[in-house]
This record gives sequence, C-alpha cells and structure tokens, in this order.
Amino acid sequence: MYSGCHGFLLPTTVRRALARVVLAGVSSIVLGHGAARAADAPALVVARSVDADNLDPQKTANTQSLQITNLVFDTLLTMARDGSIHPGLAESWTAAPDGKSYSFILRDGLTCHDGTVFDAAAAKFSVDRAVNPETNNPNSAAWGPITATSVDHNTLTVNLSAPYAPFPAFLTSIQAAVICPSSVVGTAFKPIGTGPFKLVSWTRNDRITLEANPAYRNFNPLITNPGAPHIAKIEFAVIPEAVARMAALRSGEVQMAEPSLEETADLSKDKNFRVYASDLSGQQMVMAFTWKIKPLDNPDVRRAIGMALNRDAYRDIAFQGLVSTADCPVAPHLPATDEALCRSYGVSYDPVAAKALLAKAGYGPDKPLKVILSVHKLPGWDEMHQIMQQDLATIGVQADIETREVAAFFDHMKGENERTTGTPVVWTMGMSGVDPDYLSFLWKRPGFVNMGIGPELDGMLEDQRRLSGAARTEKIHEIDKYLLQNAYAVPLLSPGWGWLMASTTKVEGFKMGFMVSLLFNDVTVAP
Amino acid sequence: MLGAIARRLAASAATLIAVIILAGLLIHIVPGDPVTAMMAQSVTATPEVMAEMRRHLGLDLPVWQQVGLYLFHVVQGDLGLTIRGNEPVLTLLIQRLPNTFMLAVSGLGVALAIGLPLGFVAALNRNGLGDSVVMLIAVLGVSIPSFWLGLVLLQVFSLDLGWLPVAGSGWRNMILPALTLGVTYSALVARMTRSTVIEILGEDYVRTARARGLREWQVLSIHVLRPALINIVTVVGLVFAYLMGGQVIIENVFSWNGIGRLAIQAMLQRDYPLIQGFIIVFASSVVLVSVVLDILYRILDPRLSRP
Repeated sequence: MYSGCHGFLLPTTVRRALARVVLAGVSSIVLGHGAARAADAPALVVARSVDADNLDPQKTANTQSLQITNLVFDTLLTMARDGSIHPGLAESWTAAPDGKSYSFILRDGLTCHDGTVFDAAAAKFSVDRAVNPETNNPNSAAWGPITATSVDHNTLTVNLSAPYAPFPAFLTSIQAAVICPSSVVGTAFKPIGTGPFKLVSWTRNDRITLEANPAYRNFNPLITNPGAPHIAKIEFAVIPEAVARMAALRSGEVQMAEPSLEETADLSKDKNFRVYASDLSGQQMVMAFTWKIKPLDNPDVRRAIGMALNRDAYRDIAFQGLVSTADCPVAPHLPATDEALCRSYGVSYDPVAAKALLAKAGYGPDKPLKVILSVHKLPGWDEMHQIMQQDLATIGVQADIETREVAAFFDHMKGENERTTGTPVVWTMGMSGVDPDYLSFLWKRPGFVNMGIGPELDGMLEDQRRLSGAARTEKIHEIDKYLLQNAYAVPLLSPGWGWLMASTTKVEGFKMGFMVSLLFNDVTVAP
Repeated sequence: MLGAIARRLAASAATLIAVIILAGLLIHIVPGDPVTAMMAQSVTATPEVMAEMRRHLGLDLPVWQQVGLYLFHVVQGDLGLTIRGNEPVLTLLIQRLPNTFMLAVSGLGVALAIGLPLGFVAALNRNGLGDSVVMLIAVLGVSIPSFWLGLVLLQVFSLDLGWLPVAGSGWRNMILPALTLGVTYSALVARMTRSTVIEILGEDYVRTARARGLREWQVLSIHVLRPALINIVTVVGLVFAYLMGGQVIIENVFSWNGIGRLAIQAMLQRDYPLIQGFIIVFASSVVLVSVVLDILYRILDPRLSRP
C-alpha cells in the first residue's frame, strides 16, 4: 500500500519537476550569488530602503527610480548650484522671442551605451516619446505644451503652443532624462543612455548593478570629473529594514547606505562615517488648509495657526537638526526664491499674537477652535506633527491628528479640499522640483489634490510661465506674497524626505544633486 | 482512496476559485488607489495624466468587471502584469519561489530539530524540571516577536561577531532567517509534540505494551511515535504553509529575495496584480499542504481509507 500510494503521490514526472524546482533554487542560491560575488567584487555597494519601480524615466515619477535613471541617462541641459542653467547634451540653446520655440544644438561625437550615435534625431525621438500620450508619462505635463519637434542637421527644435518659461529648467531635471532610440524595441524597454553608468543587471527588489561608461563626457557643473567615473561598478542593494541597512554599513558589507533619521545623528558623530544631507533637494514642506471650510476661510485664523508653529523645534527635535527652516512656498536654492523676502510676507512664531488673532475671530478658552490635523506617515514628520499638536494646543486650538498612509492620504485630501462644511482640516505636504513652476501644479485650479485657490492666483501662475528673466522673478515673488500674506500656505522646512545618505570614510567625492539625485562621477573608494 | 482524493482535489479547486474572487474584491476595499500611490512623489502629474493612467491600467472599470476579468485570466494561468514596471506577475513570483521554498524548508528543519526532541523530553518528564524548562522555552519562543529576534541575531552574528552577512540571498544569508523562523515555530512544534505524546502515553495499548514486558524504547518507538506522527504531521504541514506565506516580515528583515518581500513592496505600492498573485500563491500553498496532509493521514492511519 505504501509504495502504491507513493507512486500515486509522486509520479516520476512530478518528482522530476519538483527536483528541478529545488535544484533551481539551490543553484541560484549557491552558484548565482556566491560565484558572482567571488569572481567580480563591486567597487561600491549602496544600500537603499526600496528598489526602483521602473528604469524607464518616461514612465516613472518615483524618486528611487529616477535616482538610478539619472545615472544611466543624461539631460539636454544642466543646472549649477546657483540655479543657473548650463549646457548638457545640447552645447547651446536659444529661445524664440515669443517664447514658443526652443532650438538646441546637440554636441558632436556623443554615443549611447550600445555604441549608437546620439544626435539631434535621437534627442527628438526621446522628446517625442516623453510627451506622447501613449507613453503614459507621469511627468508629461512638466514638459510643457509641446506641439511639434523637428531636426535640422544637429539642431533640435521644439515648438510649444504657448510660452513656457520653466522649460529650460525642467530640461535639467532628473525627470527629463534623454533616452537613446535603441532603448525602445516595440513595447520592450532596455535602459540605454549616454550617462556615466551602464545598466548591467536588475533583479527586482534585490539589486541593480551598473558599470562605468568608459566613453563618458561630463557636462554637469555639479561634477568635477570631466570623464568616466572613477569607480568601475556600483551595486544598489535593497535592504528594507533600517536596522539591517545600518548593520550592513557598520559591518562594511556596503560602503554607502540610506540611514534612518535616528541613526544619522549617531553616524555624524562617528569619525568612521560620513553623512550627506542634500541641500539642493528642491524639497519644501508646507502646511495648507481646507480654506473653504469656516473658520479657515478667515485669513486671520490661518495666520494664527501659522504663528503657533515653532519650526525651530521641528527642525531640531523632530528632524535632529538635519533640515532647515524655509520661508518660501518653494524650496531654497531654486530660481527666484528669496528667503528674506518671503520672511517679510509670511508669519513668524508668535503664540501670543496668535492667541490675539484667534480671540478677534471669536475663539478662546471658552470656545476652542477644533480642527483635524491630517497627515501622512514619514520619518521625522510624525514627531513634527506631535509637536505641532502641542503648539496648536498652546494657542487654544484642539487638533486631532489623523494619520494615513501616503496614497490614502492624498486620496482623502482630494475630498477634504472640496468640502465646504464640517470640521476644518489643517494638513501638511511636501513637493520638489527644479523650478518654482511647481507652484502651478499645486495651486492652479483644480491643483494638486484639488488645492487650487482662485482666478487671481491662476492668472499670476499663468503669467509667470509667459515671462522670463527679471520679470518672471518678480511675478514669482508676487505669487509668494499672495500665498504667504493670505496664509494659504505656511512654509515649514526643507528638505524632508529621502535626503540623507551615509558612507564609510573610505568613500570620497559623493555628492547629491537637485531633487536628491545621486552623483557618483567623482567618487573614489579607498581599499 | 482515489475517489476520496479526487473529491478533496475538487474541493480544493473550488476553494482556490473562491480565494481568487475574494482577493479581487477585498483588495479594492483598501483606501487609496495605485495611481495616486505612484504619483505621490510627483506634483506634476495632472488629473488628466492620472485619469489616462487609470484608464490604461484598466482601473477605471467597475470592480466586478475587474474581478471577473482577473478570474478569467487566472484560470488560464495569466496572473497579469505588475502596475509598476509592467512585468508578468507569474514570472516575478516563480523567480522568487525557490528562495521562499528553500527558506521555508530550512526554517521547518530548524523548527523540527528543536521542537520534536524538546516536546518528547517534556512529555516524558511531565510536570518535572525538564517539562518546566521546555515549556518555558516554548512560551518564550511563541512570545518573542520574530522580527525582534531576527534583528537581535543580526546584531550579534553579523555586526558584533561578523560571522554572517547582513543582507542578500546566498546560502550563508539563509542561516539567520532560517534560525529565526525555526526558533519561532519550534515552540509550536514542541507544545504539540508534548501534548500528543502525553495523550498517547495514557492510552490502554501503551499500558498493555508495557505490561507485555516490552522495553521502554520499544514502547516509545512502536506504540507512541507512530500514532504521534499523525498529529505531528498536521503541525508540520501547518508550519510549512505558514512559512511559505508568513515569512514576509523575516524576508524583509534579512533582505531575502523571496515572494514575501515582493509582497510587502507590492502592498506599499498598491500593485494590485502582484498582491493578488501573492495571495493566490499563499492560498495555493495552504490548500496544497492540506491535500498532502489528507493523503498522509490515510497513509499513516489506514483506518481512514476503509469504506
């Protein structure tokens, strides 16, 4: 009976199939990793908390993905620390007087990782694909109102239906990566670019391996090294647990890692490690209001809430001093951002004056203002919201914190921002970019999660896109003034998410660029 | 016996179809949609762009239609494409299944190696010192959160002693997660073994065997161990099923590239097809184990196969 049953349970074919599965597992575990590691040790291993979700830069808005694609692909233009725009793959560019056309002269002698020539026709292919609705590019709107592209010798011309002043700045961003035509074969995508590193392999959720592009020519002013990266290879390992990531860094298993906020403070005091905090993140955290709901329709009430916020405490306690207070609706270092000017427009910490404003609006100890503090979870932010709740209590505002996971939060806020009755909501959010034009995506109706304000602001936001130079700067300052004096936005801190890296002291030359891009061109690793 | 097994397989297939439908329905109750999650880091994604993306992914269809289409494809072996990256779900799961399988087998091996002897020792020393010590260990094993134990093991063996790597999917990386899982589940195995053996030791046929003058080892190996196997096999099967689907956190702690870690990522990213694929794989492993257990019962206890 036993043998009969065994025969039924595991017929030969099933036994063989099972054996194959087990052997495949064993061989992938024993041979796959072991052999690869022993034969060819990487020059640099970087541990990150999450993996890229897509290595097609025209199909993702995810920072962790764009950090990788930014190493594989270059951009037509580049940006210096002061926000000035410089040549990239395009050696020069001109804008038509009406602002509705841009011409880019591509450099000679550019090659893609697969050896194919990168010229104006290749750049046209990339731009056309980026704005093609079929591509489903989440960043397509940021490319502007492109109507047509054309090529004449080595010049790419991009026509727009309306002036779009942020266009050159956008072309420097990690969202504007230029792909080589050979990347796309039918519906398949293989990341082939002109960037400093070539993709070797990607095991989803586990490891991305890149190798240096020996033919690389650098045009990014943030980078010193003019040629190929100094390191031969980079591996990005995914280690989700912060404790495990730090253990890997401390044990030397990886040379760089995304530290947790708590660990960063310890690492910065340890002479064996270096901590990097991006100062060019373009990230700005703000408080916003469901201003359609009484009494938040009263600017004085919004101001009072803003005046209760002790941002220095958020910086020093919640974020361990690793961020800065920031006074504009857009991040410091971006074009047209004038922190001193914004300070003069906005509110400052003054709980006594805040109480007086609330009393004027009819709220006090006998009639406390009740609000919901609607937030999403992020390291540092959670502690900040707790301190914020105390700050609001100090001026007599009872804030109930409602915390949601990020996707649910933004879904929820879409509805909250349309509400005109019920409990008013005070909420926090962050955004990033390389140009103040991200104000348009946020505040121009309907706006991001329906946070648009009204026709006056819409007009100003449209105007800044049509202007250039000093006139545009002035218009952006007007927008800052409108948002801050009316207290639609209360700027909090900058940056605020994914802006930290740590390395052992063996690693030198690492930099973080705009939008927390990772720059490895200058990196050397001591043995 | 074959008829019984055929009926069991048919019932299992019905269970799996119910799981597919439920997974398809339940997933939509979770607040937040995948496109919002994808665009959470991008303020430049306009409502038009997001609507187009929803349409492209088929998320604009009514839920019943999405679930119906999903069921239709799954029964043909097509688990769909991931929302993030547009990759075949089945391929991603199959690529990681060997890693998860190996870790489950290793964890089970550790759990049995620790739990079985401890359970026997406790039962044979009932209410004695050995029993108390074993039960204390069992309580600790059940009470200690596996992720905490994993982090402690990482700290000690990887960081302090430097014996084992922190992250990866090589064979040396398997030691700590297998130990973590094994210790956690060994408590369950030990408790089950103890109670089963105690129960059997009180049976008339054991007393009879002893009265016949059999040596103690003969009594234990012939008259106690074999009947105990039926219950132990149940625990082994359940533990294995849990390990196949329930090692999600441990895979994350040790950066083990299995389907559990893939599932966590998919949940965070609202990648519905991948989450559904994981649920189906997990449910399938539980159903498969339960079928195998049913058959093993019949082998171990022939009375079950008698008409």
